Amino acid sequence: MSTPFLSVRDLRVHFSTEDGMVKAVDGLDFDLEKGKTLGIVGESGSGKSVTNLAILGLHHKDSTTIEGEVLLDGQELLTATERELEKLRGNKMAMIFQDALASLSPYHTIGRQIGETYRKHTGASKKEARARSIEMLTKVGIPQPDLRVDDYPHQFSGGMRQRAMIAMSLVCDPTLLIADEPTTALDVTVQAQIMDLLKDLQQEFGTSIIFITHDLGVIADIADEVLVMYGGRCVERGTKKEVLRAPQHPYTWGLLGSMPSLDGPVDVPLSPIPGTPPSLLNPPSGCRFHPRCAFTEQVGGGRCSGEQPLLELTAGRGAACHLTTEQRAEFFSDFAGSAGAAGIVAEAGLGAHHADRRD
Amino acid sequence: MLRFLLRRIAGGAVILLIISVLVFFLFYAAPRDPARLACGKVCSPETLDLVRHNLGIADSLPVQYWHWFQGLFVGRDYASFGNCPAPCLGYSFRNREPVLGTILDRFPTTVSLSLGAALVFVVFGVGTGMLAARKQGKAIDKIASSASLVASSLQIYVVGVFAVYLFTYQLKWLDRPQYTPFSEDPGAWFSGLMIPWMVLSLIFTANYTRMTRSQMVETLSEDYVRTARAKGLSGRSVFFRFAWRGAMGPIVTIFGLDLGVLLGGAIITEKTFALHGIGDLSVRAVNTSDLPMLLGVVLVAATAIVVFNIIVDAIYALIDPRVRLA
Amino acid sequence: MSLSRRNFVVATSVAAAGSMVLSACSSGGSDNGGKGSNHGGATEYTGAEVEIGTAEDSKGPAPEVPGAQKGGTIYAVAEDDVSHMDPQRIYFAYNSSVAHLFARALTGYYIDAKGKMTLVGDLATDTGKASDGNKTWTFTLKDGLKWQDGSELTVEDVRHGIERSWAPFITEGATYVQMALTGKGSKWREGYKGPYGGDHLDSIVTDKKKKTITFKLKEARPDFNFTLAMTSYSPVPEKHDTKEKYDKKPFSCGPYIVKNRSIDKSLTFTRNKHWDPKTDPIRNAYPDNFEFEFGPTGLASCDRFIADQGKDQQMIAVYENIPAERMQKVLTNPDVKKRSFNGLSSGTYYYAINTKRITDVEVRKALNIAWPLEQIRRIYGGESAGDLATTVLSPDIIGREKFDVFGKLKKPAGDPERAKAILKKAGKLGQKIVYAFPQRPTYDKTKVVIENALKAAGFDPVIKALNSTDYYDQAQRIDNKFDVMWFGWSPDWPTAYTMIQPLFDGDAIGDGQNNISQTDVDWINEAIKKNAVISDQKEAGKAWAELDKRIMEEVVPIIPETYQRRFYLHGSKVGGAQYDPQFAATLIYKTYVKA
Repeated sequence: MSTPFLSVRDLRVHFSTEDGMVKAVDGLDFDLEKGKTLGIVGESGSGKSVTNLAILGLHHKDSTTIEGEVLLDGQELLTATERELEKLRGNKMAMIFQDALASLSPYHTIGRQIGETYRKHTGASKKEARARSIEMLTKVGIPQPDLRVDDYPHQFSGGMRQRAMIAMSLVCDPTLLIADEPTTALDVTVQAQIMDLLKDLQQEFGTSIIFITHDLGVIADIADEVLVMYGGRCVERGTKKEVLRAPQHPYTWGLLGSMPSLDGPVDVPLSPIPGTPPSLLNPPSGCRFHPRCAFTEQVGGGRCSGEQPLLELTAGRGAACHLTTEQRAEFFSDFAGSAGAAGIVAEAGLGAHHADRRD
Repeated sequence: MLRFLLRRIAGGAVILLIISVLVFFLFYAAPRDPARLACGKVCSPETLDLVRHNLGIADSLPVQYWHWFQGLFVGRDYASFGNCPAPCLGYSFRNREPVLGTILDRFPTTVSLSLGAALVFVVFGVGTGMLAARKQGKAIDKIASSASLVASSLQIYVVGVFAVYLFTYQLKWLDRPQYTPFSEDPGAWFSGLMIPWMVLSLIFTANYTRMTRSQMVETLSEDYVRTARAKGLSGRSVFFRFAWRGAMGPIVTIFGLDLGVLLGGAIITEKTFALHGIGDLSVRAVNTSDLPMLLGVVLVAATAIVVFNIIVDAIYALIDPRVRLA
Repeated sequence: MSLSRRNFVVATSVAAAGSMVLSACSSGGSDNGGKGSNHGGATEYTGAEVEIGTAEDSKGPAPEVPGAQKGGTIYAVAEDDVSHMDPQRIYFAYNSSVAHLFARALTGYYIDAKGKMTLVGDLATDTGKASDGNKTWTFTLKDGLKWQDGSELTVEDVRHGIERSWAPFITEGATYVQMALTGKGSKWREGYKGPYGGDHLDSIVTDKKKKTITFKLKEARPDFNFTLAMTSYSPVPEKHDTKEKYDKKPFSCGPYIVKNRSIDKSLTFTRNKHWDPKTDPIRNAYPDNFEFEFGPTGLASCDRFIADQGKDQQMIAVYENIPAERMQKVLTNPDVKKRSFNGLSSGTYYYAINTKRITDVEVRKALNIAWPLEQIRRIYGGESAGDLATTVLSPDIIGREKFDVFGKLKKPAGDPERAKAILKKAGKLGQKIVYAFPQRPTYDKTKVVIENALKAAGFDPVIKALNSTDYYDQAQRIDNKFDVMWFGWSPDWPTAYTMIQPLFDGDAIGDGQNNISQTDVDWINEAIKKNAVISDQKEAGKAWAELDKRIMEEVVPIIPETYQRRFYLHGSKVGGAQYDPQFAATLIYKTYVKA
């Protein structure tokens, strides 16, 4: 394996709050190669967004402690100065946020917001920046870009805003793009267009993408590799095919089970994961998923609540669970047969679009 | 913009009209008889009638109001004072001085006091608030926050008396508060208003500090501010280029209203420092059942508020492109 | 006293006349709460003696104030501007006090260093000659009287001043002379429209050559010469009578002329070179200028006096009492205290008992005995706030005698046992008493001690707090439902007639009138008529004092409370500042600037 473009080792992100220490990310490792897409999936509060804010250094410095190692193209990010980070942000690494309306300044024109990034990192003139903004708007498919460049975000439609956001993040040809649920707020047709756009742009620029979502369908569409997070930890990792076709962690099964699919039988009821995401202030002992897991008895011996399962990777594939490999295979085939997850599983291999999937 | 202004001015005029009607009729709903107050110790019914006639309040209320209203546009003729040209606000019941003239005479004092204090509290209040927000959680933030909490609970008449005692009589640093017209002696104008400005702006400064800080903190947690940082902008330029735009909207709104209210007379401050402004005038008008003066000062105050409301809305549209003037 | 503060009724309307803080103009309208501590200042002053002076006493110049020197400027400070400067429109003590500088009248009071008052001829050569059973009064003008432009002040100017009281725009002044001249009571305006049409009153006869002016009264007025000392009866020159505008800039016959006036802000006087001190037995006029500054609150100006810096060293407070908050500071600081002086104001504060509702005189006695005077005064500020009252007449009244029918000076806190015993004997234990007062912070406090005292004495008190703005309108309504009402009265000149008649004459009962105890007793009515025509004021004084005592013994229509005290400060470079018993103010015309 070549040297990964982005390498995260034992990342820990802890917030101190009035109630105590919140361990938002508690020991995370992953690598990302150039031009590839890593999908990070998990419920809200699983630590997926925090991970990426930490990579960019956008967390609140005063109340957050970060440990571990993040190497971007050989540069250590966690120990980098704010100045160094500023040079990287928007330039080498860029981010697309979920809610483009809230994430774009209402007080500045689209053109200015795009151009600002460009000027900051290239030292271009206002005129050049404007030309670049129009170019970027054209690239992301905004009609009449030379006119719309002077519009304010509220004058754009939701999809256009997200395109503008993408234009803004790609304006400096970043090598790493972090997309934090970029399509969640959009309706399905637009969502599909945005996904296509991202893929096209990735091809064009050779960008590495970290794609954060809670939606396995989106993962199926775009990711090369998948990382499933639960309670601030990685519970399963593998290629898209591996994770979606043969998931090994009961939580991943749960995610699949809570996913509707038009391809599957209509009468199969959705089965959401029982219980609520864990408190990160007082995380459950042992396996953090155990209070919601249906298989603790099968493991037996109180291991699930007493002993933290380790993520053992074989060629980048593995899951953190006390179930044996055999048990996992057995229980998953039971699960896959009964739940509507089969559709997704089927699709996963094909990388089909989910243009018509409800969210 | 022009349409906006015309509409708002017309709306403002209607509001002023309603206010004048309200003040006029509420005045007579109170148990006081302004005629009784200008009638002698042995107030015979005959004398009382004379007083009513002299004051022009012998007619029925609607007629009285109509006369007053007419006076605004075509002037009025008074038996004892001759013609009062439009816009005529009448003559004070208390001292038979022309209301408009008195208000115009008093207005520069109130304008000097208000604008000076406003400058102080905007510069210091917003400045300190920005600083506190920038240094969130640091010592300077905590000092500014607690100081503003203390300051905002102070009473002007207590602080005022104390400030004069300390700065004028004990330390002898500052002149005793008094108003000298700027045109007469700018130096005296400035030094005489120093203490009133400080005292009047103190509570406002505290409020603006807190307001600015919380607005800034709120804005700093906005997604678009995070986006700006994700673009590689420095914390500093994010703070000053992005965040303040969001924070300024509410502050400008409050500031406009505060200034409008202040221009209607800073009653307690004017009273505390014996400044002869609109506030002092309005207190006297209320205390002496001086209806024409009361109507006059209320209209001035209301006009100031209406005007500043319009200005605020116009400025808001400049700050926030989402707001459209209509 | 020449109409000092008008009665307390008008005191509320001081507001109308241009005051926001009522204390500035009248204790009646003011909130005297906590007027100071018990430290008591110089409280030896108990009232003015009043005498009627001779022609010799009426000759100028006024005796020199020891150590006084001419020149400089005296600064005066007050929260409020004077409400009127047209003499005919002046009734308030504060206005009258300032009017001393530019207005004179036929008579006036010479006040000596101890506060003793002597009625003297001011413009007139003496205090007037009465004839025809006090129905005809003749005065002769002195020589050398001049207006500010050097023209001669004539008897016609005196007549014009009085006649213009009938002008429709003059509604605020005193009306005693008008009523005496017409005999029409409150309908005195009928039949005469004032001098502006060229008409003159038949009842005033002038002789320009002899310089005499004769008043032919419809009613006998033995104290008419006191009445004429009121500012309302000052002369006005016809040639310079600007009618309504005269109020803004009056023409001076006194020692100073109005130089500048900025209403509500400042008023400056400068020496009138045509005023001849040799004609004036009352005024000294040492400073070259008086400069009044209006606006500072009592607290602010008091702090300026205490700081005593710059021009404030030459400053006096004309009518601005030391505020309660600073009383202790003033009295405990010897340097400041020596710059203070005080005196009793000319009226009596009391509680009127509605005799039509509380018909049993025993109950009224029990109320007097139970009333907690000491506690009330403590709320006002203790001894420095004033003296306890036991009589109707205030100490300033000619002939007034001190008596204490109910032993209040021995038991000022009230004697609940004795009151209870009287009630029990009268079979009135548990008598309901509706107590009404104007709602102000001070009276909200005094009502508590009153309520407690009444309960302790076996009454059933019902407390009625009334809106202070229309308190008098309510209290003066004869069909009101109050048993005991907070009230007070200041006389217009120091004869008892001006207190007893309006308060206890059966003819003075009616809505808007001041006999709110509704006392209508034949022997009182007759005594008032009889005493009113006694020529010799000393003799009259004796008769009034007897009547005062008999009223308090046999009718008990009021509960006397206090004769209130006023404290004033002046700057360290002011000499000659003393208390003016006539107007309860600073005696402005004796002040001088120290070297």
